[in-house]
Amino acid sequence: MQEFEINANHKTPREINQAIKKSAKENDKIIIKNPNAMHYMVAGLTEPVEVLIDGSAGYFVGTMIHGAKIHINGNAGWFPADNMTEGEVIIDGSAGDGVGQGIYGGVVVVKRDAGSRTGEIMKNGTIIIGGNSGFMSGLFMMGGRIIVLGDISNDAGESIIRGAIYVKGDIKSLGKNAKVEEINDKDKEELIELLTNYGFQLTEDDYKKFKKIVPRSNRPFYGKESEEG
Amino acid sequence: MCGIAGVVFKDGKLHRVGDSLTKMLDALQHRGPDSAGFAIYGGLGLMEDEYLLNIEVKEKPGLLEQVKSMVNTATQIKNEEIIPSVENYIIYRCKVSLNSFSQLKPLIMDIDKINDVIVLNGSHSFEMIKDVGLVKDIAARYDTHSKQGTHGIGHTRFSTESIVDRYHAHPFQSYIIPDITVVHNGQITNYWKLRDPLERKGHIFETTNDTECIVHYIADKLKEGYKLEEALEQSIKDMDGPFSYIIGTPNGVGIAKDQLGLRPGVLAENNEVFAIASEEVALREVIDTHDIEQISPGEARAYTI
Repeated sequence: MQEFEINANHKTPREINQAIKKSAKENDKIIIKNPNAMHYMVAGLTEPVEVLIDGSAGYFVGTMIHGAKIHINGNAGWFPADNMTEGEVIIDGSAGDGVGQGIYGGVVVVKRDAGSRTGEIMKNGTIIIGGNSGFMSGLFMMGGRIIVLGDISNDAGESIIRGAIYVKGDIKSLGKNAKVEEINDKDKEELIELLTNYGFQLTEDDYKKFKKIVPRSNRPFYGKESEEG
Repeated sequence: MCGIAGVVFKDGKLHRVGDSLTKMLDALQHRGPDSAGFAIYGGLGLMEDEYLLNIEVKEKPGLLEQVKSMVNTATQIKNEEIIPSVENYIIYRCKVSLNSFSQLKPLIMDIDKINDVIVLNGSHSFEMIKDVGLVKDIAARYDTHSKQGTHGIGHTRFSTESIVDRYHAHPFQSYIIPDITVVHNGQITNYWKLRDPLERKGHIFETTNDTECIVHYIADKLKEGYKLEEALEQSIKDMDGPFSYIIGTPNGVGIAKDQLGLRPGVLAENNEVFAIASEEVALREVIDTHDIEQISPGEARAYTI
C-alpha cells in the first residue's frame, strides 16, 4: 500500500485539498497530520482512496466526496460528509450539527454523540450514530436510514418523507409526519450486519430495543394525488 | 458569522487569561475579520472605589486635554496611559475613584458629549480591550498575551447590521449592575420587544445594536435576583432569532443558544478549566478536546467561581 503524508500545519484548506487531490491519483492512502479542526478538509474528492485525518476536523469535512473512505480519529464539526454520493466517513469522536446532510449514498459513522439535524434532507445512504443524536434528526429526510444507538432528541423525523430512523434508546418526541413502528426481522438482520461491520458489538437484547421512525404519509404537504401517477 | 469564546480557570487564581483568549480568538479569526475584543476578569487589582475608563479620542490638537479636564472636574485622574490605535485615534486609559458605582454611567455620558470622543467602557473588575482589525494586530497593540485574570470572554466580529468601529466591537457592557459583558454570534429578531420594557425601567441604550440589548436584558435579570444560568435560560424563552452568546460576570461566564440551535456552541471542561466557544478549533488552544459537548438548541450553561 502506497501512503502519502500531508502536514496541515500552516496550510489553508485549499492548499490541503489541492495536495489531497494531486496525491490521491498516485497513492492508496493519504494521512493528514495536524489537522487542527480545520474546515472543508477533503472536499470534493472523487478518487476511491483512503484518507486518515489524524485528529479533529472542522466543518464540512468530506463534503461532496464520491468514493473516498475517510477516517477521522478525533471529532468533527458541523456537516461532515455533506452531500456525499458514495464512500465512507468514520468519525471516532463526536460530531456537530448536520451529520450526513443531504447525502445521496455512502455511510457515515459517528462513534459518539452527534448534534442537531443529523441526516437532514438525506436522499439515500446510511448514517450511524453510536451515542445520542440531537434536535430534529432526520429533518426532511427523503430516503436512506439513520441508526441511533443512544437517545434521539426532540422532533425526531420532522417532516420525514421517506426512509427510516432506527433508535435503540429513548425518543424524546416526534416531529410532524413521523410515527414509530416496531422493527421487523429484515430490519434486524440488516442492523446486525451493518453494526457488526462497523465494530458495534450489541447483544440480542440490545437489538430488541430498536424502534423505527418512519413517515406517516409520503405526501404530507400536497394532498394524496400524486402528479407522477 | 462572528466567533465567540470564554474561559474560566476554576481555581480562582490568576492565569494568563489574555494569552488563552488571544489564542482562542485567533483560531476563530475566519469567523469574523472586522474587529475583536476581550473582557478579562480578575486581573486589574483596583481598590474598591477605583474604575478604569477606556476612551477613544480622535487625534486632534487639544482634544485629549479637553477629555482630561472633563474627567478631572468629576474626579481626580489617578493613573493614565495612551495606547495608539488606527485611523487617527488613540485609546486614552485612566484610573479614577468614584464614591459609588452609580456615578460611573453619568460620568461616561458626560465625557461622551465631547465631539470625536467615545467612552468604550468603564469597569472595576475586568479589563476591556476591543478594537477594529484582526486579532493578531489587536493583540500586539494591547499586549493581550500578558494580561492576567481568572476568567474572560472574547469575540471576533463579522459585522451584519451595524457599523464597524471600536464601540460596536464586542464585548458590549451594561451598567445596570457592575461589570456585565456579552459577546454574541447571531441576531435577536424581537429586539424592540425586549428593548421597550427595559427602557421603561429607565435603562439606557446607546445603540440600536441587538447585542447591547442582550447585555442589558441579562444585567436586568441579575439585578432582579436571577442566578446567571437562570437568566440565560429565561433569555432563551424570551429572545427570538438565531443566536449563541456568552456572558461575562465578575464571578464567571455562561453561554445561551437559541431554541432551534442555529448558531454553534461547543464546551469542554476538566478539573482545571471550563471553556466554551463557537468551534472546537478554539477550545483546543486551552484544553484537551477529546471530550467536547455540543451545546444543544435551547440550552444554557454557566460556570461561576
